[in-house]
Amino acid sequence: MAATFFGEVVKAPCRAGTEDEEEEEEGRRETPEDREVRQQLARKREVRLLRRQTKTSLEVSLLEKYPCSKFIIAIGNNAVAFLSSFVMNSGVWEEAGCAKLWNEWCRTADTTHLSSTEAFCGFYHLKSNPSVFLCQCSCYVAEDQQYQWLEKVFGSCPRKNMQITILTCRHVTDYKTLESTGSLPSPFLKALKTQNFKDPACCPLLEQPNIVHDLPAAVLSYCQVWKIPAILYLCYTDVMKLDLITVEAFKPILSTRSLKGLVKNIPQSTEILKKLMTTNEIQSNIYT
Amino acid sequence: MASRYDRAITVFSPDGHLFQVEYAQEAVKKGSTAVGIRGTNIVVLGVEKKSVAKLQDERTVRKICALDDHVCMAFAGLTADARVVINRARVECQSHKLTVEDPVTVEYITRFIATLKQKYTQSNGRRPFGISALIVGFDDDGIPRLYQTDPSGTYHAWKANAIGRSAKTVREFLEKNYTEDAIASDNEAIKLAIKALLEVVQSGGKNIELAIIRRNQPLKMFSAKEVELYVTEIEREKEEAEKKKSKKSV
Repeated sequence: MAATFFGEVVKAPCRAGTEDEEEEEEGRRETPEDREVRQQLARKREVRLLRRQTKTSLEVSLLEKYPCSKFIIAIGNNAVAFLSSFVMNSGVWEEAGCAKLWNEWCRTADTTHLSSTEAFCGFYHLKSNPSVFLCQCSCYVAEDQQYQWLEKVFGSCPRKNMQITILTCRHVTDYKTLESTGSLPSPFLKALKTQNFKDPACCPLLEQPNIVHDLPAAVLSYCQVWKIPAILYLCYTDVMKLDLITVEAFKPILSTRSLKGLVKNIPQSTEILKKLMTTNEIQSNIYT
Repeated sequence: MASRYDRAITVFSPDGHLFQVEYAQEAVKKGSTAVGIRGTNIVVLGVEKKSVAKLQDERTVRKICALDDHVCMAFAGLTADARVVINRARVECQSHKLTVEDPVTVEYITRFIATLKQKYTQSNGRRPFGISALIVGFDDDGIPRLYQTDPSGTYHAWKANAIGRSAKTVREFLEKNYTEDAIASDNEAIKLAIKALLEVVQSGGKNIELAIIRRNQPLKMFSAKEVELYVTEIEREKEEAEKKKSKKSV
């Protein structure tokens, strides 16, 4: 234990081991009630991948059922808005399925009927070219659910002949640099790619000691382990809610090989984006 | 490291940061954009109007406030903090007038606001004000002034500046376009402010509010129609410039 200047007591980690180890051993034995509660919680937090029409669970992983050559994943509301207005608008996309999951970040306690207007995770493929796959994930996938999500989407033995592109955002104050955050040109794009991704990125690579977090990190690690070419485009922004300038910061990606050919009408996309912004504005009087 | 030195305002971190002040500057970025331009005979303040809830009275959501007849300010950041600062500044303006029988200079009232903000970065149990302000006006000598203050309590004079969300983008636009020609006439200065805001405002002219002070004249708030007229003129000029460009290239 250690005390700080302000009187708060902070438990310091002790590498020597605690003195009362025996007592802890007893407390660690699981009762049947504990087991039951643990299993219930595991069931509640299960990631379910559902088919589009029937809403029944898929027996195999998503990419085993729908093999693809190009997989674009948008995680977070700004990345999702970018794909909605620029990519999904230029072509006919069909929903292949959706992922339903619950964790403490969800606003509802009801695990079975998560409404579609709330945070969601949908999968789509291009009708004219079903080997192009897209995922829009605006819900938070907790650490214990990430592996399940990966297994249900990629499967335990994924194909290597596909290219993955991940888009996500992070607050600029997470960006570790010698400059002060006030002088950074946010929003700005950084990229991180797996060893097998040979194409050039359209922006500078993410420097050390910056790291990637949450689901994007899980997907990238998975791709690195399975030698799948994948690239993550991370947009550092100072506005985490849906924002026009943050979404437009993803535009350089439209010229890369991953998205080339998928976007046709850019001015119309910008109009759709503006409409998305106005419909999603949340009223708050705290900041003016 | 930040987590151990960012709870109390009165504690420096080992590398000299006052984290609470820096976090207050993040709060400023959550407010909508405000831009200030100092012309030759005019000072202009333009703000991005926040969208108001349907049942809310629009008049109570004001980003541009008069501090005295010849000084006004726009802020970005926490609304409640701004209200407190504005009230104190207004009282100080009148107190100064009664004591010294002269209206405040723009620099004086800016220094007052900045000193107030600095006090709150050095007091125990208080947090800094989460607002940045753009203060404009004319002094008795007839010179136009534009000052900017931030939560740390610093203030500087500017020719043109922006605060709030996307301030950096607007400032870069101003750095490129603030020329002697651009502020040659009052109308040009007003158009420059509107053009700067249009870079970042999401739905165009109807979300812009504008205020100007001309030498020896009181503050004038533009109506939505007047702003719309300027926006139409700007768009027309843009089209003409593009036509000329395409003609030249042909």
